[in-house]
Amino acid sequence: MTARVASGSRHWRDPSPLGLAACAALAIVTLFVLVYPAIYVLIGSFRPNGGLLSAASTLTLRNYIQIFQSGFGRFIFNSLVICVTATLASTILSIMAAYVFSRFDFPLKRSFFIGILFGQVFPWIVLINPLFVAFAAMHLINSYVGMILTYTAFTIPFSIYMLVGYLVTVPKSLDEAAIVDGASRWQVMWFIICPVMLPGFVATATYAFLLCWTEFLFALAFLTQTNLKTLTLGLYQFFGEDNVDWGAVMAASVVTTLPVFLLFLPIQGRISPGRTAGAVK
Amino acid sequence: MRNRLFITAMLAPTVILLLLFYGYPILANLRMSFTDLSLLGMKRGGSWVGLANYREFFRSGGFGHILFNTLVWLTATSVIIRLILGLGIAVLLNTRALKQLRMAALGRFALLIPWATPPIVAVVIWRFLLERNGAVNAALIWLGIVDQPVAFFADMRTVWPSIVVIMLWNTVPLIALSLLSSLQTVPHEYYEAAELDGATHWQKFRFVTLPFLMPSLLVLGLMSVFWSFNNFVYVWLATGAGPGTFTNVLATEVYLKAFIDFRLGYSSAIGMVMATVMGAFGILYLRLVARQQLEDTL
Repeated sequence: MTARVASGSRHWRDPSPLGLAACAALAIVTLFVLVYPAIYVLIGSFRPNGGLLSAASTLTLRNYIQIFQSGFGRFIFNSLVICVTATLASTILSIMAAYVFSRFDFPLKRSFFIGILFGQVFPWIVLINPLFVAFAAMHLINSYVGMILTYTAFTIPFSIYMLVGYLVTVPKSLDEAAIVDGASRWQVMWFIICPVMLPGFVATATYAFLLCWTEFLFALAFLTQTNLKTLTLGLYQFFGEDNVDWGAVMAASVVTTLPVFLLFLPIQGRISPGRTAGAVK
Repeated sequence: MRNRLFITAMLAPTVILLLLFYGYPILANLRMSFTDLSLLGMKRGGSWVGLANYREFFRSGGFGHILFNTLVWLTATSVIIRLILGLGIAVLLNTRALKQLRMAALGRFALLIPWATPPIVAVVIWRFLLERNGAVNAALIWLGIVDQPVAFFADMRTVWPSIVVIMLWNTVPLIALSLLSSLQTVPHEYYEAAELDGATHWQKFRFVTLPFLMPSLLVLGLMSVFWSFNNFVYVWLATGAGPGTFTNVLATEVYLKAFIDFRLGYSSAIGMVMATVMGAFGILYLRLVARQQLEDTL
């Protein structure tokens, strides 16, 4: 309302037609650059060879049929098994740790927490060689278990950081009331606090899932057998060679990205961009 | 007493897992960097070679080139442009003009598309657009800017700018959205006071908006530095460090030496160099970001 009172000042005066036009033009260019590439690929996925060589505007499902015939379904299955299991494990462990961080004081608590924050910015590539040697000795190369453990460990720092942020907003009196009524800490954690913070927990788990779903480096290093490869490796297989079949690559890209959009859009309001800045690899 | 047991039990699995996946590998990597361990002879183990791997890397012809690529192109260029564009888009979407045109919400939504796109798909998209017969070349020829299609990823003059464009498209939205939410907390009274003093649009931006955004810009900038410096996927998927080794960076060199040349020991030494450079930034991170995150969270 104060805005109206101050309407005599320049900041609140209606923009001049010229300024309006300039802003609109800039915005249209920005929107175009942001959105057009994605739409172009979406349309390309329904065209022969991505529409690159033929000017023909025929739309076809051939690219999609082709990638599933050449085993893309297997990659989706592998990604689902690895990512769902890793997300569940990492979220459960993170809830346990985050609950303790938000409720108790204990020695070295701050150092622990800073160590976890550091986990978000550490170069993962440096961990690949020693992990590869250790995994090879334990037969965890080309195994679901190896990938699940890896993804669990690497989504934990982000998840704990997010979850502690949610949990500190829940008053401790809620815990204490339940404990007076005879509940154990374990019960309080899962049956009192978890339901209260469920939307935040779901958002965190979803984001952790997306980190796994789109991960490339660990998969590239630890999975070499075609029947165990994840989605991103399957996509890489289509366009890594010299002669790229663009139609197949586009279709595979759309199949990879669609679940990301469907899961990301509902949670994006709860994921502050600043918090995830370190989690994107 | 009961609480102590509970705390230990709840933290133990996480601590063990993190020690196994961060603590142990860092130490093992350090030890490996002093050996000639080969990917083909892992059972046999490597022999101790002292500092030979480090000496070889620092004296190799590629060292200066790789460091330059990593620091100047992959990190500095991409981070600086990312912050400027992110700031520009945030300010644009926050203008009264766009709100009047009902385009601000649309712009916010549009930012979500590149943000949600997985990095590997972002590379696919731009490799397709920048193909010889692709949309960008078609547009450049139609506009009369070039006569012949440009081979963006094969030409040394265009390959780095092309990689940076992919990174920017994928990551500017995160910066823009983050700054946009900070912008919406600037109190209007500040602008009104500036106007009473006769400030121009530029002065209002320079002396009100920018100082207000500085803390966010600093954090986002520093996180972007980590994120870019450590990054492997963009260079690897866009060019495979090529043409030749022209776009090789530290992360791709670690991978190439270990998994293409099978020299695990040598590759680990490069990894240690990388970790050391990050360690220097890590002190900045600790002082400027981690403390703040700790205060905000605990």
